[in-house]
Amino acid sequence: MGNLTSYPKGALEWAAIFLAVAILIMALFGGWFTPYDPLQIDFRGKLQPPSGEHWLGTDGSGRDVLSRLMAGAQLTILSTLVVIAVVLVIGCAIGITSAFVGGWLDNLLMRLADIWLGFPPLILALGFAAALGSSLEAAIWALIFSWWPNYARLSRMITNDILSEPFVAGATALGVPTWRKVVFYVIPNAFDVLIIQVTLDISAVMLAISGLSFIGVGAQIPAPEWGAMIAGGRAHAGSAWWVVMVPGLAIFVTALAFNIIGDMLRRELDPTTRRRA
Amino acid sequence: MAYILQRVAFSALSLFVLVFITFLLSHVVPGDPAIAAAGPNAGAEKIAALRTEMGLDEPFVTQFLIYCGNILQGDLGTSWFTHQPILDDLLRELPPSLELVVIAMVINLAISLPVGLLTARYNGTTFDDIVRLFAMAGAGLPIFWTAILLQQSFAADWQLFPVAGRIGFEYRAFEGITGFYLLDSILRGRPDVFFDVLSHLILPAFALSLLFTAVGVRITRTSMIGEFRKDYVTLARAKGAGEGRIMFRHVFPNGATPSLTVFGMQFGWMLGATVLVEEIFGRPGIGRYAVKAVTQSDIHGVVAVVFVVGLVFLLANLAVDMTLYALSPRKRAEG
Repeated sequence: MGNLTSYPKGALEWAAIFLAVAILIMALFGGWFTPYDPLQIDFRGKLQPPSGEHWLGTDGSGRDVLSRLMAGAQLTILSTLVVIAVVLVIGCAIGITSAFVGGWLDNLLMRLADIWLGFPPLILALGFAAALGSSLEAAIWALIFSWWPNYARLSRMITNDILSEPFVAGATALGVPTWRKVVFYVIPNAFDVLIIQVTLDISAVMLAISGLSFIGVGAQIPAPEWGAMIAGGRAHAGSAWWVVMVPGLAIFVTALAFNIIGDMLRRELDPTTRRRA
Repeated sequence: MAYILQRVAFSALSLFVLVFITFLLSHVVPGDPAIAAAGPNAGAEKIAALRTEMGLDEPFVTQFLIYCGNILQGDLGTSWFTHQPILDDLLRELPPSLELVVIAMVINLAISLPVGLLTARYNGTTFDDIVRLFAMAGAGLPIFWTAILLQQSFAADWQLFPVAGRIGFEYRAFEGITGFYLLDSILRGRPDVFFDVLSHLILPAFALSLLFTAVGVRITRTSMIGEFRKDYVTLARAKGAGEGRIMFRHVFPNGATPSLTVFGMQFGWMLGATVLVEEIFGRPGIGRYAVKAVTQSDIHGVVAVVFVVGLVFLLANLAVDMTLYALSPRKRAEG
């Protein structure tokens, strides 16, 4: 693992990092500082354009769009991070076990992961969320259920690579226990590849969560989840552009920021390009 | 031959897992499937009758076998909101969705392959950087948002395309043969219908393809860069072959083959992503069917769409594998 701060970065990368940090802070604390109650309905003040009073206007029920955006960051982004954290732990547990145990278990788990990877994650998650009963929690479970094989495959591949290194054979001869191999050999070596995957997956999972909410199997409509906000604002897309534009831009900008950071990490940390240099 | 058998065996295994997943989704996850199947307004008697009828008193394995038997007979259950057998519904809804996905795939390939080739050739230039930025932006676009914005601007405001639907009101009496209107209009010799149907397809297909194109460009670029570095390219240059010949005659066919696998997978993903587009553009199709089924809490309708998308996905991948096998002398020799 290299020194993350030493890489040369352009203005674009710096802007992406700044944005990503700002968005994460908004997701963590934004809900406490909203100028209005994000669920407060005011039919007389509906569909007001952006103004000094309502910076991003109001939606079809007169709710303040900026407040909803800030409160929604928590729903959209924290759910995304929860999905990725759980999938990372479960997937790596499966992948590392698979590589260490080997034999028929390895074969079975990896065949299963291959088959799973095949099915379109969005449609698999849609089925699962619908079966669980539509809610944001259902969408989170559904995505965990459909996303784990990516990390199982990746961590199994890395673990296998490391296990074939001569120093591991040496360690085995010296009687180093398996858990020490996992903690001191596998995890540090897997870190770079996993951090790239996590960064790039943030946008994919976020698009999936907001997409599920847009269809109606994720967060339900008064909730200010960004996808649900777009679903709720659709009817007013023609007369009040901000109702659809604002939450969509929020999703897009967040996804783009993490994609740029992921791309930068890939170019700087990817072992295949690094070894060649 | 061994290679083909291996691919077919893998697809069969995948199909089994798919059936098992849909079984879990429709029979195990939602709690009591008899209550689910009976619908929201059923009484206790109907539920008890259904429980016996559906074999829910049987052990788990027997239930799964009954489910497999039903699927083999094409019985996917009955929809609550159309009151039709779900299989009939899906056979009616599948052609418009496939039509949309095919057009989206054509747009995807028409952009991904040439742009991927050019960015590989001009790797590291400003052009490459700009395309990379566009690809990253495209990969962050929510499909449903793009769809709404395209519909609002190109259709509603500037009236360049129809806002919604599959075919214009003046052609509402048009009778299909296959259900694929583009094909049907050619078969019936109706260019006016053809262009009307096509104009209804452009915006939804474009919205659907953007995200996949962003990925497609990068995949193609990566495999083309690998190809440009190979010895045969150096040899061709040494022999004095022109850059154009190297690019199109040598690098392109070799570099395009590995990305075909990805495009094959994208076909199934796109079919899944129709749930985000068809409802917005008011197009009939399995995506809109799934969304309607969700709002009606019709779990069997949703699960049936999961099954069909999974099935099309498996078939598309198998078809791509077969094509690659037929195109590649090396694989034929090995296998």
